[in-house]
Amino acid sequence: MIEFHLDGRSKVATYLQLVQQVKQSLRLGLIDPGDQLPRVREVAEALAINPNTVLKAYRQLELEHLVAARPGVGTFVTRSLAGPALANQAALRHELIGWLSRARTAGLDQEDVVALVETTMRATFQEGLDGGADEGVDTA
Amino acid sequence: MSTALETRGLGKRYGRNWALRECSLAVPAGRVAGLVGPNGAGKTTLLHLAVGLLRPDAGSVRVLGDTPETGLPRIGFVAQDAPLYRDFHAADLITMGQKLNKRWDSGFARDRLTQLRIPLDRKVGKLSAGQRAQVALALALARKPDLLLLDEPVASLDPLARREFLQVLMGGVAEHGTTVLLSSHLVADLERVCDYLIVLNESRVQVLGGVEDLLATHKVLVGPRRADRAGPVAGVATVIRESHTDRQTSLLVRTHGPVLDPAWMARDLTLEDLVLAYLAEPSSGSLPGPDRLGIENGMEMTS
Amino acid sequence: MIWLTWRQHRLQAAYLLLGTLAVSAALFPIGRAMHSAFDNDGLAECLRTNGNPEFIRPAEGMGCGEFADLFMGRFGSLLPLGILLVLLPMLVGLFLGAPLVAREVEQGTHRLVWTQGVSRLRWATTKFGLITLFGLALAAGYAVLLTWWIEPLAAAAGSRLEWLVFDLQGVVPLAYTLFAIALGIAAGAVSRKLLPAMGITLAGFVVARVLVAWLGRPRYQEPIERRISVVTDRLPNELHGEWNLSSGVYDASGRQIVANGNRYCPPEALANDRAPGVCDPTTYNLEVYQPAGRFWTFQWIEAGIFAVLAAALLAFAVYRVRNRIS
Repeated sequence: MIEFHLDGRSKVATYLQLVQQVKQSLRLGLIDPGDQLPRVREVAEALAINPNTVLKAYRQLELEHLVAARPGVGTFVTRSLAGPALANQAALRHELIGWLSRARTAGLDQEDVVALVETTMRATFQEGLDGGADEGVDTA
Repeated sequence: MSTALETRGLGKRYGRNWALRECSLAVPAGRVAGLVGPNGAGKTTLLHLAVGLLRPDAGSVRVLGDTPETGLPRIGFVAQDAPLYRDFHAADLITMGQKLNKRWDSGFARDRLTQLRIPLDRKVGKLSAGQRAQVALALALARKPDLLLLDEPVASLDPLARREFLQVLMGGVAEHGTTVLLSSHLVADLERVCDYLIVLNESRVQVLGGVEDLLATHKVLVGPRRADRAGPVAGVATVIRESHTDRQTSLLVRTHGPVLDPAWMARDLTLEDLVLAYLAEPSSGSLPGPDRLGIENGMEMTS
Repeated sequence: MIWLTWRQHRLQAAYLLLGTLAVSAALFPIGRAMHSAFDNDGLAECLRTNGNPEFIRPAEGMGCGEFADLFMGRFGSLLPLGILLVLLPMLVGLFLGAPLVAREVEQGTHRLVWTQGVSRLRWATTKFGLITLFGLALAAGYAVLLTWWIEPLAAAAGSRLEWLVFDLQGVVPLAYTLFAIALGIAAGAVSRKLLPAMGITLAGFVVARVLVAWLGRPRYQEPIERRISVVTDRLPNELHGEWNLSSGVYDASGRQIVANGNRYCPPEALANDRAPGVCDPTTYNLEVYQPAGRFWTFQWIEAGIFAVLAAALLAFAVYRVRNRIS
């Protein structure tokens, strides 16, 4: 089961933070289709947030066809977002660590790295959109 | 019913001073509403009128569609500083609730306090302030209320006790769909739990509306320095606050459409910023209904 | 609501009960001694034998005055103790009545209990009623004790209607207690704080009691006048029980010669009149008094006055609770 946490200083709305955390867990394969999301009451109590906020997050996920609510039972994952298998991701991660240490040696700090990644990502994925599948796009 | 609490022109006077006047508001059912305002603005007076401890001198108040006297069995109330009989044990207070109330869940209260590890057989006066607040909340929730009114419930609590109180409160709301109205002058806490906002300032209602809506329509616009109170800005309904440096002008505004003018950079607000801005400008307001003051936008930008 | 009243005030009740028992325990041995002295040292015997008539002839040695003097010489100093005992109803009012509303409001718990499922009217009537009943029960107990205790003193001192003696006997201690409790409750409902409530109760009790006893009691019924010539061989029996309100000596034209005093000259003294004019047979003593037989009438009248005052105060307190406190 996922455990949510909130970044109080983030400008992102609370319900969006919850949506993002669910999606992230889906991507990382931490939850699979058929798993139950924490009950609204538990989340509201654990985080001391308005239950309507939790409901809104779950509704948003439902709109994106990622979860389905079963009245009286709970909210369940219907689709996975894990694209490539976990094993591939492990290899990618390994490469990334190597690249990061090289970037650090080259004198880039964290912000430089992020800026580089973001601009390159934008350019690369834009090309990819014209040609291939992308994460977050509805393929169902 | 769709409104849990409704007041029309409500007023209360002490001698010649009006502690609350021309107060008209409605709290929709199922919401967690925050009641904010400086000390002496009338928050406690409003809550006491809603729960029947005071009688109005003007206007009316209806709770759950009834008068406060008739609706009292469906209301839970915790007064400021969570008053309790200090030489009673928590168990005694639960017994008291059972003897005095028709609708009462002793088991709920006991379970709740046991979960929080609050001893039931110790004198309540020997508990910490946070524990006393939890006891008071448990007693109020044990009545299984449809509307819960809390007067500054976390004001004198340390951060951990505050968090625990709000956790229990949110759990209770989630389980029963209780409507909550809680007053506070700590806005940061309210942002997590409230989805409806009432700002009382100088004994009047200044702001009233859903939090999401308020945050969506209020922005800080930063742009090049311009004259004080210069002409209207496209998309802006009212300017709440205006400030200038030698090169920059900042406007805190309420919008009624997108601000597309490239000269202005728009930034979102936190709820705290919004409340503080309104409190600093008592003559401005954001109420559902006609605007009370402001630079009305004559020109609409069409996209 | 009954449970709540008991739980809230059980400690107070216990302390008051203990206090009353302690006072009783202290008084009892003295009372025993007094009754014993009264019965066995001659005064009781004397009063029985001479029938305690209205007038006595000193020449025939009919009075029991000597026995009375002996008794008073031994126990008369206890009379000031009576002042403390007179204050007991006030203490009950202070510790039972004053905190009832005052402490509830002062600590803010009224905002808890009045937003539970019980109306303010029911809260007030149950609480006021139960507390008053408890106070009255206590008062009944010590009224019985005090009546027994003061009986010999009253007989030896002269009249049951006298100040202090009257206040400690019969039904009036109950009425004073009822009044004190009602006053305490009402004071608390006005001041909303405990200490001022106690202050008001104390002052109010003293003022009311003094005014009623001083201005009212002598006038509950028209007093009786008695004229006795200065020259007489019969004197009024001081132990007969009349409550003397005033006495003086007047001459034939009605002018007062002596204020606050009597003059009795036996007929023989006329013969060897060493002080000419003093034993003038045309002068007379005028006594204004209330007869002993009116004791119970006066008790019920005074009890009634304080009962009515108590009822008014309680009604006022209920009004304040329902309309003026938030």
